Amino acid sequence: MAERRGLADPVYAPAEDSGLLAEAAAARARGTVLEVGTGSGWVAERVADVDGVERVVGSDVNPHACRRARDRGVEAVCANLLDPFRGAAFDAVLFNPPYLPTDPDAEWDDWQEAALSGGASGRDLIEPFLDDAGRVLAPSGVALLLVSSLAGFGEVIEYALDGGFRAETVREESFPYETLSVLALTMDN
Amino acid sequence: MKESLLDIICCPLDKHDLELSVDEREDDEEIVSGTLTCTDCGEAYPIEDGIPNLLPPDMREA
Repeated sequence: MAERRGLADPVYAPAEDSGLLAEAAAARARGTVLEVGTGSGWVAERVADVDGVERVVGSDVNPHACRRARDRGVEAVCANLLDPFRGAAFDAVLFNPPYLPTDPDAEWDDWQEAALSGGASGRDLIEPFLDDAGRVLAPSGVALLLVSSLAGFGEVIEYALDGGFRAETVREESFPYETLSVLALTMDN
Repeated sequence: MKESLLDIICCPLDKHDLELSVDEREDDEEIVSGTLTCTDCGEAYPIEDGIPNLLPPDMREA
């Protein structure tokens, strides 16, 4: 498992969830796009080729990931979630969050943990992302959020609706231990 | 980073504009190194190897 997930590497390697997010982005992303937590930049690189996409920025809290994404040709910014982005700056924001529910005593405290762990609920990064996503989206912009059943699909939807989003499932795929979905979130206005 | 990124980014602490100071430029367009300084709180954010580091100061790697 450690070898398959590349735990010796400080940057998350693209997996099934990345592919699902890239498919959803191909269908829905337009204009100026931000990928939060871009990791290796694999998704952002693909989105840059989508018709109607003018610019793709990839951000990550991990400086190793930012360098990897930039090497792929992605415009990279080292950032915590949406903190350094202007209001209404993006037509689409993509996020494949760290979502594995993790026992605090068992956390590894390194870059791989930061890429995988979503805290005790699995939603430690998802909720602050949803709190701020409406601010950075242009009117009629869309947030595409990868959600695993491990982080609680119903809880994520409920949190998004409470925050004023409309939610639509645009991709879904089941695996032995989890179901992955991509939600398209738009503001109700 | 490209100078046009300034249309997209702001200070992570107070969302004010950032002022760019360039140390090294490549092909006229790409800024390889420099500093972004918040026009309000004065916090400075480094640009290194073409990547702006806009993490809040307490999250930057030592």
